[in-house]
Amino acid sequence: MTVWKPTVLTRVLLGLAIFLSAFPLYWMLVIASRTNSDAVASPPRFLPGGNLGHNIVAVLTHPEAQFLQGLANSFIVASVVTFSVIIISTLAGFAFANLSFKGRNALLLLVLLTMAVPLQQMGVVPLYRLMVSLEWTGTLKAVILPYLLNGFGVFLMTQYTRQSVPMELVEAARVDGAATLRIWWNVVLPAVRPGMAVLGINTFMLMWNDYMWPLIVLNQDNPTVQIAINSLNARFSTEYSLIFAGTALSIIPLVLVFVLFGRQIVGGLMEGAVKA
Amino acid sequence: MSLDTLPRAMRNNHRRARPPGRRWRSRLDVKAMPYALVSPYFILFAAFGLFPLAFTLYYSLYDYDLTGTTEWAGLDNYAALLADSAFWRATLNTVSMFLLATIPQMLLALFLANALNKRLRFRLAIRMSVLLPLVTSVVAVAVVFTQLFARDWGLVNYLLGLAGVDPTNWRAERIPSWIAIATMVDWRWTGYNAIIFLAGMQTIPRDLYEAASIDGASRRRQFWQITLPMLRPTMIFVVLNSTIGGLTLFSEPMTFYNGNPDGGSQGQFQTVAMFVYKEAFREFDYGYASAAAWLLFLLILIGAAINFLFVRRIGGTK
Amino acid sequence: MLISKRRGGLAAASALAAAALAVSSCSSGSTPESSAPASSAAAEPVTIRVQTFGGGSNFGYKNAVDKWNAEHKDIQIKYENLTDQFEQQYWPQMIQWLTSGTGAGDVVGIDEGGMGLAKARTEWWADLKEYGLESRKADFPAWKWENGVAGDGKLFALGTDIGGMSICYRKDLFEKAGLPADREAVGALWPTWDEYMNVAKKFQDKVKDTKFADGTNTLYQVVLYQEAAKNGNISYFDTTNNLVVDKNPAVKTAFDFAQKMSQQGLTAKLRNFTDEWATGTQKGSFATVGCPSWMLGVVSGNAGDDGKGKWDVASVPGGGGNWGGSWLAVPKQSKHPKEAAQVADYLTQAQTEASVFTDFGNMPSNTKAQQDPAVQGAKNEFFNDAPIGEIFAKSAASLQPVFLGVKHAQVKNAIESVVQGMDDGSVPYDKAWQQLVDDAVKAAG
Repeated sequence: MTVWKPTVLTRVLLGLAIFLSAFPLYWMLVIASRTNSDAVASPPRFLPGGNLGHNIVAVLTHPEAQFLQGLANSFIVASVVTFSVIIISTLAGFAFANLSFKGRNALLLLVLLTMAVPLQQMGVVPLYRLMVSLEWTGTLKAVILPYLLNGFGVFLMTQYTRQSVPMELVEAARVDGAATLRIWWNVVLPAVRPGMAVLGINTFMLMWNDYMWPLIVLNQDNPTVQIAINSLNARFSTEYSLIFAGTALSIIPLVLVFVLFGRQIVGGLMEGAVKA
Repeated sequence: MSLDTLPRAMRNNHRRARPPGRRWRSRLDVKAMPYALVSPYFILFAAFGLFPLAFTLYYSLYDYDLTGTTEWAGLDNYAALLADSAFWRATLNTVSMFLLATIPQMLLALFLANALNKRLRFRLAIRMSVLLPLVTSVVAVAVVFTQLFARDWGLVNYLLGLAGVDPTNWRAERIPSWIAIATMVDWRWTGYNAIIFLAGMQTIPRDLYEAASIDGASRRRQFWQITLPMLRPTMIFVVLNSTIGGLTLFSEPMTFYNGNPDGGSQGQFQTVAMFVYKEAFREFDYGYASAAAWLLFLLILIGAAINFLFVRRIGGTK
Repeated sequence: MLISKRRGGLAAASALAAAALAVSSCSSGSTPESSAPASSAAAEPVTIRVQTFGGGSNFGYKNAVDKWNAEHKDIQIKYENLTDQFEQQYWPQMIQWLTSGTGAGDVVGIDEGGMGLAKARTEWWADLKEYGLESRKADFPAWKWENGVAGDGKLFALGTDIGGMSICYRKDLFEKAGLPADREAVGALWPTWDEYMNVAKKFQDKVKDTKFADGTNTLYQVVLYQEAAKNGNISYFDTTNNLVVDKNPAVKTAFDFAQKMSQQGLTAKLRNFTDEWATGTQKGSFATVGCPSWMLGVVSGNAGDDGKGKWDVASVPGGGGNWGGSWLAVPKQSKHPKEAAQVADYLTQAQTEASVFTDFGNMPSNTKAQQDPAVQGAKNEFFNDAPIGEIFAKSAASLQPVFLGVKHAQVKNAIESVVQGMDDGSVPYDKAWQQLVDDAVKAAG
């Protein structure tokens, strides 16, 4: 067995990579914990100051900032979409991978073709006009609905199911008299969990970071977190410490989840990515 | 990626063996259920895929004016668009930023994955730190980077100043603005792609490397001869994702100019997605925006095709 | 190992979902609607959202809103200044809200550059006559009033402030450059723009780390409005809404002056109403900036307390001018048009406009406020106690409006992008004029 020892160069470069990953976040905290004039001081201030609590309270209690609302909305939007996409994708993926039906190949090809189309960007005009005529602008459902369509999810779960659910298993379940849905629940879902994890993380982050579509259909009084930061940035043009406190706040919840479940997330991503 | 992997004969065998009372219901289950399972996707596809595509085409044939009038325009929007230097500028910006971001990103991610694949202490902590940028918010980070790249009081210019470099106006000069935005994109995605590559690398059987070592192949040679070709499926996934993300780039360049779709005083870093947004929601010319959206779609198809060919080539088995 | 990893993946996903549920239920517990926590009265107060734009203290409504909210328990004002930028951000966003039927506030500010379109789209607005505001006619100069009346006779907007013109300058830096620093003497330095440029060169010879002017855009605007007054009071459009950018000499004159300033290296290359510009005000990146009355509050707000006493106000080269000034309108989509009209009425009353002027600097359009002794004798503490009443109120009655077309805001943005572009180097000087004309044509399209 070859022992793959890292060279000194590797170690140094890894350290650099970690430093660069963390630095912008550190910088965010530095400014968020200082005053506005510190933010544009020359030479720059490199160490955190003592105003973090003050700035965070200022953002949270600012009547115009809508920050908690933005965080809550983003959680709702991202969770609902993630959950639905996982269900829709595992169902379809199971059908495409393990069941036979007329037109299967043609339908799967259609999924593959749509995968490359960023429909939410391409169809932005009609989708917007649709939401206006339904009087849904300003509501979360206007953000959620278009994103339930996720060709990538179906493709991923098809690939994943094909590789991790042996046909024999499905057939054996059929012999035992299990109906299709029961097989999906009892046989397929447990086997494709890592795939679901990778799809779930991807979808969640995609929704969490979606900017263009919420910017179009939501208003500033019912924002997602990205829109809340955007309006914070527009409204408090040079109040850097306030803006940065807001950006820090918008990041902390997910970073906390990430730290708590880092092992599972990294593991899920890695395992899910290989089979897809 | 064969689409037909079903051992049909085997299934028929089983079905014959079933008790007669359940046969009818189970036949329905087998025949109809697959359609039921895929139907949610296709219903959504009709509502939020086909409908917008068709209506984007429809809108693109009309001329909308700010004052509220709408007139039939035929193909005028397309003709105007093809002659619009701002549109081509946005296209060039998009493609350039995509290349400027993706090429270093892939190389860095491969390198990083290779490093992460070594025996390391604190393995999980290291993996988590390179993945950290992924779980941040895109606009929040763009705000931070925008401040770092500020012309007058930004940290980047300060550090360059220490090295004796004159301050750069990152938002006014075209190539520097691309570099700044590509940096934001790479900061976010390099670690993620490295983790995906790492996962791919770990599925490569070690005996391949051992055999190569015995044959006297250097580490570097092993990387090019074994690792890279074996990573091809992962590469397709990563490159396709980056292509779609890169060609629809919006959040970072928007935030880099205060949430303004102009992308610099002269559109230095306006992307096609921003162009579409600007035409639709700044000029309120829905027709022109729709025509541009179709051309964006074409751009993505071309992009996807090119890098599919490219990945096939570099991962070639020879 | 493998199994625990798999479970972990699902655990992570479900943890995310659980966290989401927890947060969402928290937030629905304390609904965001409770924006007026002070009210323990029986009836829920009506919240009227007032949306404005502009840097620094923008419309200057802070104190007036606090006063109203203290006096009116039944109607609470929520004052939201959305952004520093009108043409680039606020107005397109507002148009989108107005056409889609949701999102706009109950009372919204409109810059003069948006009034042409606002007038053409009367279906967007509530008719203020229905709430008895026809009676306000006598309070305003005829032009200010009439611009808020649409072609169909609908009264849709009431005037807030007017521009006027001055130059704000850094007294301390003028001293540093060995120039006269007293406001009378400074005004005497530059009866014309050529002389202003000469002063700029002298200043720049002595002071290196501060530019004389903020950028090309502010100067361009100031000169444009002055020249427009000499050319039939039109700028980009003639009164029948034809684009005349290349025919109106006012545009070329203003452009040429801005270009010369930039070529001589006298500008800090900052575009007005951007973050960098606002920071530049605070950090002393430039020593002078063209100051219509409402700009006083922008400068003082951006400069912050540290700037107090460093800035002063002098007369503008080339005579008077009237850049800017706004109106308040009530969108038809407002759920409380009656209360909104009450608030719009209050914010444009002589007393309110007078206090806005004395607190922040925006010159009232309300003629009664203009004649108020408190206004005429007002001094601005931030600007070294400059007698702003004397500077602005004196000329206020004689100000004439410049006609602005339906698409003025769009054309202005396109033109300013070129004017800025030649300053920051992205448009070559020799191609800038042609591009300005081309881009204006495109924006008017």
